[in-house]
Amino acid sequence: MSTQDKVTIHQLPTGVPGLDEIVGGGLPEFSFNIIAGSPGSGKTTLAHQFVFANATPERPAVYFTVLGESAIKMLRYQQQYTFFDPAKLPNSVRFINLSHVVLEKDLGAVLEEIIKEVEKANPAVVVVDSFRTMVRKARAEVSDMNLQAFIQRLALFLASWQATTFLIGEYAEEELQDNPIFTVADGLFWLRQSTERNSVVRKLQIIKLRGQASVPGLHTFRITSEGLQAFSRTFGLTRHVKRLPDRRRLTFGIPELDKMLGGGIPAGDSALVAGSSGTGKSVLATQFIAEGLRQGEPGIVAVFEERPQAYAKRAGSFGLDLATPQKEGKLAILYLRPLDLSVDETMHSILDAVQQIGAKRLVIDSLAGFEMALSPGFRADFRESLYRMIFALTGIGVTILSTVEVDESFTKFPFSTYSISFLTDDIIRLRYVSIDGQLRKIMVVVKMRGGNHAKDIREYEITSKGVVIVGGRLTEYQHLITGIPDRLSRSNLEKEPARKREGKSKG
Amino acid sequence: MFRLHRSILRPSALQTRTMPAPAMRDLARRLLDYEAVAGESSVPTEFAALRVYENLRLHLCTLAGVAGFQSLASRGLTLAKSEAPELSVVQIAADGRLQGLEHLEPQTEKGREDEAGVVLIAQLLGLLFTFIGGALTVRLLQNVWPDAAVEESRIANGRDA
Repeated sequence: MSTQDKVTIHQLPTGVPGLDEIVGGGLPEFSFNIIAGSPGSGKTTLAHQFVFANATPERPAVYFTVLGESAIKMLRYQQQYTFFDPAKLPNSVRFINLSHVVLEKDLGAVLEEIIKEVEKANPAVVVVDSFRTMVRKARAEVSDMNLQAFIQRLALFLASWQATTFLIGEYAEEELQDNPIFTVADGLFWLRQSTERNSVVRKLQIIKLRGQASVPGLHTFRITSEGLQAFSRTFGLTRHVKRLPDRRRLTFGIPELDKMLGGGIPAGDSALVAGSSGTGKSVLATQFIAEGLRQGEPGIVAVFEERPQAYAKRAGSFGLDLATPQKEGKLAILYLRPLDLSVDETMHSILDAVQQIGAKRLVIDSLAGFEMALSPGFRADFRESLYRMIFALTGIGVTILSTVEVDESFTKFPFSTYSISFLTDDIIRLRYVSIDGQLRKIMVVVKMRGGNHAKDIREYEITSKGVVIVGGRLTEYQHLITGIPDRLSRSNLEKEPARKREGKSKG
Repeated sequence: MFRLHRSILRPSALQTRTMPAPAMRDLARRLLDYEAVAGESSVPTEFAALRVYENLRLHLCTLAGVAGFQSLASRGLTLAKSEAPELSVVQIAADGRLQGLEHLEPQTEKGREDEAGVVLIAQLLGLLFTFIGGALTVRLLQNVWPDAAVEESRIANGRDA
């Protein structure tokens, strides 16, 4: 069938930030949907958000309450959410309690009552909360066949009356099989709460949605004073147009380091600054952001271990003004709420900021802090999540610089404790070395996927101006990367230039 | 003028647990006056309270269910009885209807029978305010008495003025 012959299925906004993206643009109009999940999983709140987003005086929403939460208490609690608009009651949003009909009469009477109210109100949205308790009561009295006939008639009637419907129920996942309601439904939304150690994470799955492609998998969501907010596994990037690659070099404003990097970090790369505590990873990252700002490139710093004010203050101690660009809207320092965070939520915050200020540079300080801020359930998937995040952000042209703390070892030279070096295009390694009875610092550019880079090991200091590279290549030592270098003897030093000359003449 | 404005109708939790706030009592009285004017002049004043109650019952049963309204009304009546003992002859039936208000004995003190109805309605409204807040209660009352503003302005111009 050609595109023009197909019926157009209009999509309704779900009223839940992030959910439209997950369901494939919006909820199909006139669809018959189930919201299932355990108690406290957010079913009623999700339905309310949909109701308040779509109800109008001309096409109101009728919300049938049945044997579940008391309607008075439901209104008491739901009005605490910002989406709840009392002005919509009762002309646009009508609550009708059917408990007495369910308790005193049969399913036929319930259906009659629903039909009567729907014909009277001509609603665009119908919700039955809780459908499960109604069915449970009926099941004790009627055969499965009668129940199936009731569900069939209800679905047919509501679709014919051009209502988009939500039936809410406390279902367990084992009930997915052999339940007529799930067969009849066009859409099946499953809300879960998973507990791991002391952490609870909410997840949403669109098990079924007829007529359009939804994003598969489990999506995290959070319930705040604004109601549900969902975070798509695709990070909402399906609607973003990918930018053309920009292969400029992004400098640090540290001339010697920029030279080592062949001019800077290639735009759109993911770079990693690895080193142990106190080696200046954060200072280097701050200089990267500050240099971008100096060049007119807006930036974002995602911090997990300190508050934005403290971060800006510390930058100030190196002569880097982050306060002014923050006020001017060119810099956002995101303090991502520690504990029980999901990568998707972090991404959502970062993407919002990227879009808001047109950020070109992003600093994640640090990956260890990021991991700690995640719920234990997400830590297990940290590498996979990080991969999705980096891929998504660099895909829209953002250059990422992450810091990571590594344990110093005198036998190894690790780049990261996360085995994530494959996720990064460029790696700068910082480390301590013991030289002449002092603990000094060296840096080396280990990897640059985008091109050539210096192989030099250079000493640096952290001064009042930030990271400053001192002196030239450290040619007087060998085994520098072990942290305990050996000073080359005079004779060896004399041999070194000769070896170089030989190498050049051979080449 | 019959004005439903939530800022002045916000009882404290303590007030609603003990006795209706003055604003709630004032609102109840206005509703009774409205119904008294809307009904026939020969109708006794306690019937105005009954009409207010019935209007509330019909709308609240739709919203909260018969059982939900019945329990709310029972609580309201219990609170009202402590303030107006003559309400001891009144009961709330299983379907939420009010029984016995017509049996209120005329009190020696002028207006006492009217006062009992005011107290009962005020307690019921106070519970609504407590549970669903001012904004929703006002919306609900505006839905029950949609033309009240117009009618009340007539009352304000005539009777109250």
